[in-house]
Amino acid sequence: MGVMRLGYVHTRVTDLDDARRHYGDTLGMKAVHTEADRVYFKAWDEFDHHSVVVEEGGVGLVKMGYKVATSDDLDLFERRAQQFGCLTERMSRGDNVGIGDGVRIVLPSEHVLELYNEAEYLGSEVGLVNPAPFPRHLVGVGVPRIDHCLVTAEDPDTLERFFSEVLDFRAAERVVEDLDGGGLLGSWMSCTTTPHDIAFIKGPNGKLHHFAYELSDWYAIKNAGAIFTMDDVPVDVGPTQHGITRGETVYFFDPAGNRNEVFSGGYAVFPDTPTKTWTVDQLGTGIFYIGRELSERFTSVLT
Amino acid sequence: MAAIRVLPDDVTVDSRPGETVLDALSRSGFGYRTGCTRGGCGICKVDLRQGSVSYTAATVSDQVLPPDERAAGTCLSCRAVPDGDLTIELRNERLRRLNPYLTARFESTTKKQVLRNERKRPWE
Ligand code: FES
Ligand SMILES: [Fe+2]
Repeated sequence: MGVMRLGYVHTRVTDLDDARRHYGDTLGMKAVHTEADRVYFKAWDEFDHHSVVVEEGGVGLVKMGYKVATSDDLDLFERRAQQFGCLTERMSRGDNVGIGDGVRIVLPSEHVLELYNEAEYLGSEVGLVNPAPFPRHLVGVGVPRIDHCLVTAEDPDTLERFFSEVLDFRAAERVVEDLDGGGLLGSWMSCTTTPHDIAFIKGPNGKLHHFAYELSDWYAIKNAGAIFTMDDVPVDVGPTQHGITRGETVYFFDPAGNRNEVFSGGYAVFPDTPTKTWTVDQLGTGIFYIGRELSERFTSVLT
Repeated sequence: MAAIRVLPDDVTVDSRPGETVLDALSRSGFGYRTGCTRGGCGICKVDLRQGSVSYTAATVSDQVLPPDERAAGTCLSCRAVPDGDLTIELRNERLRRLNPYLTARFESTTKKQVLRNERKRPWE
């Protein structure tokens, strides 16, 4: 069955209390586990132990975790990653609180990706029997779940090959220098029925551009934007709509300067959905269909 | 209250106690290239030409502002709080007047012209 979804994002933050306020009070995630230098958060419609870890000291991405269906998948993906030429190592239950055995892979882009097939089950906040559509006492934005990550890579071509050959992701949309075999500048890749579970654009290795939460709709995106103003969260861009993925969006920064996104909409992809292509001269339209302009901040701020 | 003089435009604005360099400039209606405004990306770096700053408003990561850079006079303007009067210089850009209606004082030191509004500043 392969990779099922993005399971967790582990980032560095400069101040744990500030991060607690942002991810807890503003975004409305629940702190499920706390250690001296880190907090584990879960969103209300997620079932597994956590989906966001913030660790004090520095900024940027520590690692991303993707959940696979079976332990056979772990063996398969480990073997394929090694054949691809990546460094891998086994991780054991408890290396990450609430997460089972797994495989850690250093990607061609130097990001660390962890695959695992078991996580401690905490359940969603509305339960499984006659569940309400949302919990009554959400705080702030009340994000239901995390959705995807966008990172930067010096060599998007190789990273796209990695995700497709090793992990069976499919490119939903790509940005190329030109249509006649021009170089790849970015790829939005899927392992679910949404257009991206991972995306990357050309840039320095090992950096985080953003990670995103899914919200129900455009109205929720707009409300999130207003809450960011109330809580003095710096908004990067939005609310607006992407050309690539067609999603609605607000980009904003956490108190350490890591970019987050709230995202809604987009279209469904299936194994036979053809890949869409954007040419780099239309990148502004691709990223922000309304507005059609890339801000310098959007392209240059990475953590 | 400290005065922040900005080169190459040679504009001076006032800052309130505890306020960052970036906040003081934007409160006076000025902008320049900034990113996360939370100390994470390093886009807002400027050169400190005179005076000193402290990073008391929030923790600043060595990853973003390495100690050697800091010692050489790089100022992470979205997190730096002036210790007293200071002069900074923007890197390859000019100050932009984003809000021409603001009431805060700013002073163009070259033109020796002081624009001061009638309205009393609340912190005086
Ligand atoms: S604007 Fe990002 S560090 Fe100052
Ligand atoms: Fe995104």
